[in-house]
Amino acid sequence: MTSAVTGISKEKVSELREHARQIRLHVLEMVFKAQSGHIGGSFSEADLMAALYWHILRVRPDEPKWSERDRFILSKGHACPGLYATLALKGFYPIETLWTLRQFGSPLQGHPVIKCPGIDMTTGSLGMGFAIATGIALEAQRSEKSYDVFTLLGDGEINEGIIWEAAGTANKYALNNFVAIVDRNTVQNDGACDDIMPMEPIDEKFQSFGWTVEKIDGHDMEQVVAALERGRAHQAGPYCIVSYGAKGKGVSFMENDAYWHGKAPTPEQFEAAKKELEEAAE
Amino acid sequence: MSKTDAPTHAPAASAAGAPERMRASIPTRRAFSEALVQYGETNADFWVLESDIGKSTYTYLFGEAYPDRYYNLGIAELGTFATAAGIASSGRSVVVAGYGVFITMRALEAIRSFIAYPNLDVKILSSHGGITAAIDGVTHQATEDIGTMSAIPGMRVLCPSDTASARACVETSFSVHGPVFTRLMRDPLFDIYSSGETFPFGESKTVRTGSDVTIVSYGDIVFQALEAAEQLATTGTSAEVIDLYSIKPYDRDGVLRSIRKTGALVVAENHQARNGVGYELAHLSLTEHPVPFRNLGLQDTFAESGAYQSLIEKYGISAHHIVEAANEVVAAK
Repeated sequence: MTSAVTGISKEKVSELREHARQIRLHVLEMVFKAQSGHIGGSFSEADLMAALYWHILRVRPDEPKWSERDRFILSKGHACPGLYATLALKGFYPIETLWTLRQFGSPLQGHPVIKCPGIDMTTGSLGMGFAIATGIALEAQRSEKSYDVFTLLGDGEINEGIIWEAAGTANKYALNNFVAIVDRNTVQNDGACDDIMPMEPIDEKFQSFGWTVEKIDGHDMEQVVAALERGRAHQAGPYCIVSYGAKGKGVSFMENDAYWHGKAPTPEQFEAAKKELEEAAE
Repeated sequence: MSKTDAPTHAPAASAAGAPERMRASIPTRRAFSEALVQYGETNADFWVLESDIGKSTYTYLFGEAYPDRYYNLGIAELGTFATAAGIASSGRSVVVAGYGVFITMRALEAIRSFIAYPNLDVKILSSHGGITAAIDGVTHQATEDIGTMSAIPGMRVLCPSDTASARACVETSFSVHGPVFTRLMRDPLFDIYSSGETFPFGESKTVRTGSDVTIVSYGDIVFQALEAAEQLATTGTSAEVIDLYSIKPYDRDGVLRSIRKTGALVVAENHQARNGVGYELAHLSLTEHPVPFRNLGLQDTFAESGAYQSLIEKYGISAHHIVEAANEVVAAK
């Protein structure tokens, strides 16, 4: 039986949801062990990461620098535990590497660096990754390369002025190979996004910059997959997906709480969160 | 010569006696861009990015010659440099042009974290270096650029003094993989070198040999240093003048050899004295061979709009200031 929303099977949807759950479990453990790192944004992006890496992106874990691979730029670089867990689960490096997060000598730096397997470009200073991804897409389009470029932004991140500089560039050069996803988890470091710096209507802002935009429930796997497929197929300029969701998604006491932007759990909190994620198995 | 190339100042008083052939007909920003067009003929892969001052940096010449390799991203220096980082991360070399203040301050973080840190092949054409952007005023006078760029790990820094060396710096920039910052001038000043001369990284040009004092400079002030050496000669002081066009890496051995010979050092630069080449060479001298030392540059101050000659006079980097400093260090030996 296939989904009514997209062409993929119900079994595939369940499989992707399970990947997302595994990503969250590994994020929790790595941040707990490191006692440092960003859980909230890693949880809100987990469904997107599962859909990207197990359904959308053409990548080769055994050949990370394969020239024709699709590019993925995590512009909200602080949410790298989610990406690191994804890359380990996908087979870019051993699961054990995750337990070296932010430690001396680890490829898993506090924010992503290009020398780490599976990382296409260094990011971490908000806004920069989006412009970097624009450059990668521009270069690919003008050089008639076959791959597509996906980038994931935070909703707080779009406060940055450079976002709108790059949005203009993507429109000017009609980058058909470019999909930006805004993780609209509604919470940034200091509190609710709408209090810190209101950015809604986000869809209309990107639309006015010449982008095609759609809004989705970023925790509904069928909607996520369908939107990413539409974004990839879109051939009339850059495509933006505003993905509404919850910071800390998956653990009830972490959801929608700015406290969990960048805090590590205590042993008690770790056990409670782990239990909740384990019980969520379908 | 276009209108914007017209010198904005009367000929320097100290240069009044200079032969006419030494007057440059174009500024170094234009010389660099013209050479870029030439280099682009045989090197077909690199792109040039602009932020809407291509008619001032003269990169528009590259755009006319190779429209498919020229991208004007509007008045958005930070976005332009981050976009360049993305392009270079795909393996394509990029030249980014602009004004020094905007490049080294507004776009500094993109240059540091996303070009230099991943060691990407981005070459920077930085016009309006120092107070050579004289009439434009402080917002357009890059007087901290050398210090800022030199402090970034892996960044190489060049500052040609004239037309021939600015042209040669294009090839020098592309002779290595990785980021290179080239500081250029707004206005045409004076020519020193003949075309065909090369300007490799880590070397320097001893443009006048001498035995009593070493004067190190770069860019437009090399000419002032040469003028100073002429004046010093009339009072019996023999000055050696070094053009440190390659600021990072710099010719450590050459400078050391010279100060071991002369026993005195003056550094004169169109830059804040703090964190400039003077600080670098003071460190070298103190570590390896202490000699009497003077450091001429902006003394913790902003400049202002005005004719170039008036500004270098007021801010203490003209030929006669160098003469005074040289006499002081010679007397202190």
